[in-house]
Amino acid sequence: CSGMAAPTKAERTACWGARDEFWQCLDSHGDDAAKCEKLRRAFESRCPQQWVKHFDKRRDFLKYKKKLETEGYSPPEAAGKA
Amino acid sequence: RQQRSRRLRQLRRLALGQGDFQLRDTAGAARSKADFLGRWVLLYFGFTHCPDVCPEELEKLSRAVELLERDPALPPLQPLFVTVDPERDDAAALQRYLRDFHPRLLGLTGTPEQVRAAASAFRVYVSAGPRDADGDYVVDHSVLTFLVDPDGVFRDCYGRSRTAEEVARSVRGHMDAYEPLPP
Repeated sequence: CSGMAAPTKAERTACWGARDEFWQCLDSHGDDAAKCEKLRRAFESRCPQQWVKHFDKRRDFLKYKKKLETEGYSPPEAAGKA
Repeated sequence: RQQRSRRLRQLRRLALGQGDFQLRDTAGAARSKADFLGRWVLLYFGFTHCPDVCPEELEKLSRAVELLERDPALPPLQPLFVTVDPERDDAAALQRYLRDFHPRLLGLTGTPEQVRAAASAFRVYVSAGPRDADGDYVVDHSVLTFLVDPDGVFRDCYGRSRTAEEVARSVRGHMDAYEPLPP
């Protein structure tokens, strides 16, 4: 048992807010994480580590999805044996 | 005709066996599908340590139930939450979590075997992720809300893309079309 209680509604809302601020920063700096370090730290302090991982994956997925929608799908180049 | 009523009794037995569960509610009482016969049920599988999807789906579920409650002519609808994380989601954890949502939303938990059986009965995919250094983990699971009619027959299921209004409209349609199985 991890011994940690699940985040309360207030904690969830604070975490999502910190995540959204961090993502907005990334959006306005072309995903340059170095420009958003302070907000990244705030996001990590407000959310359980498992949620940070989950949201990082979600962001990657959303970016990929957007890329597919705007650029279309091109299969990865076959650059010899992986 | 005798054949018809035999057939209907068969259907009723099938309905009880289909998607049945043996769980415990947040007051510690044993609950199975039979306890909810006579009511419509909207049932969601999730867990309290869920980052975003479960609170969103429960908000949606709560709102759909509220919308339907506004019409006094409609039959009663019981919202249910079944945990896919019985190790952490005991009665106390569920009570704490669910009080942020619809007041009649009832939480169900159980032993890992009971929860596994319930998820399996509804064909819900459940997979706990790896634990981190603090022992924390997320549970990957199908995101679905199931509609069960007063005979215990499964009628519909709703995913992420449906809004609360759409769910309410669909449930109302099923309620209007419903013909009870004779006793």
